[in-house]
Amino acid sequence: MTRPEPKQVKAMTEIAGVPQNAEVAARIANSIGPAFDGFAPVSGTLPMDLEPASYLLVQRAKVSK
Amino acid sequence: MSGEPALMSLVSVAKAIAAKKFSSREVTQSCLDRIAQWQPRVNAFMAIEAEQALAAADAADVALAKGNNLGPLHGVPLAHKDMYYDAGKVVTCGSKIRRDFVPTTTSTALQRLKDAGTVRLGSLQMVEFAYGPTGHNPHYGAVRNPWNVDHITGGSSSGSGSAVAARLTFAALGSDTGGSIRMPAHFCGVTGFKTTVGLISRAGAMPLSQSLDTVGPLAQTVEDCALLVGLMAGADPEDPTTSSQPVPNYMAATTGSLKGLKIGVPTAFYVDDLDSEVARVLDETIATLKSEGAEIVKVELPDQRQLTAACQIVLATEAAAFHKRWMIERPQDYGAQVLMRLQNGLAIPGVTYLEALRWRGPALAAYLAAVTGTDAVIAPVAPIPAATIAESDVGNSLDAEAVIQRITKFTRPINYLGLPSLSIPTGFTKAGLPVGMQLIGRAFDEAGLVRIGAAFQRATDYHQQVPKAA
Repeated sequence: MTRPEPKQVKAMTEIAGVPQNAEVAARIANSIGPAFDGFAPVSGTLPMDLEPASYLLVQRAKVSK
Repeated sequence: MSGEPALMSLVSVAKAIAAKKFSSREVTQSCLDRIAQWQPRVNAFMAIEAEQALAAADAADVALAKGNNLGPLHGVPLAHKDMYYDAGKVVTCGSKIRRDFVPTTTSTALQRLKDAGTVRLGSLQMVEFAYGPTGHNPHYGAVRNPWNVDHITGGSSSGSGSAVAARLTFAALGSDTGGSIRMPAHFCGVTGFKTTVGLISRAGAMPLSQSLDTVGPLAQTVEDCALLVGLMAGADPEDPTTSSQPVPNYMAATTGSLKGLKIGVPTAFYVDDLDSEVARVLDETIATLKSEGAEIVKVELPDQRQLTAACQIVLATEAAAFHKRWMIERPQDYGAQVLMRLQNGLAIPGVTYLEALRWRGPALAAYLAAVTGTDAVIAPVAPIPAATIAESDVGNSLDAEAVIQRITKFTRPINYLGLPSLSIPTGFTKAGLPVGMQLIGRAFDEAGLVRIGAAFQRATDYHQQVPKAA
């Protein structure tokens, strides 16, 4: 996973229905880029049999010390 | 009983009213006197409802005289972050867009406090739509830190932190999606309790991120927070995400000692790149916990940078979804920084967002495995003490997000994991600014954090320090 470029961001905002100009797109790319970098080691590595509700199973399980 | 009632803790003043040592009117007037003194300096209140508060206080006194005690907070005046819906009252959410918004329902958390007998003082300032960690607000002005009014309060529960620190209210509801209770608690020198996701109903609380939002209090003491959390926690049909488990007696946990408890100190991330005074206070806090009987152990946590990134992805996406309609129809009515941060969410693909949500379970399991054998982990709330309002006024500049991420780097991982975290005052800088530390617990083990925090406050007096009016 790589951080989106300003041109890609601009296209994504149009697809999302809230189109932004090139300047705003560049600012978004700059702002959100580090989150993409930080999450890159995880992205694309998760097993198929895992869905968001698995969080609740872990959170509400009795975890002994 | 002599002295200024507004300086008492929540638990103490509630007992004093119940015992008729003070009337609710005397207590409410004491708060209003301090509000009149401090509000021009700190801008902590969004609305001050003096006449209505005194009338409600009188009604509480009449009820008590007739033997009708409504509950453990009978006649206690409180004000809360202006995002908790209170039917018939304007709830601005710190925004221009909701400047005149009047909800028709009351939030469950607020209603449970009302049912316990509280009196409404008014409402407290906040960051626009709770989306910012500093306390700036382009619509209503920055809230100022009572310890030094040139400095930030932290956000987004900026008014809550400032008002509790200046003793304008005995406690205040905040909300914590990325650190918004713990940050003001740290910067303003008060106690703040970010609760486990699912412990307290979010019904009627303005949403920012449905996966991360939590309700919790800021107050003088851990004991005060324990009382409030106990009153608010528990299943709510209006919010099916709340746990159906019985609510523990958190007040009972306030008397436990630290003997036999293990507290983990991270070997990395939370101890890296700290301001020297924050590092000093962390060392002093660890020493105090040890002297009170806790065993201090090192813990090697999984990579916390990935958690902060995942948190940012989830928060940005969900916030953008909540605000999409207004981003289309009323973009000019947002402050520049909040609009910029909302726009960030437009650039996150659905697959990435869902990956971040799917990873939450394994990430929590890995964290819990790393802290096996400990009762809590201690860490700074932020790497720095309160910056000045001027230097942190970054708006929507190119480095704004980087500044925000640095301030919130120690709080966001905990939001992503959904864990409880208790922020306690633990010292001061040489310049007199407060420094707080967070105790991070297991899901739904708020009682364990209460036990540690209360024991620390019995051994120290940082939580009893009150800023002086100029």
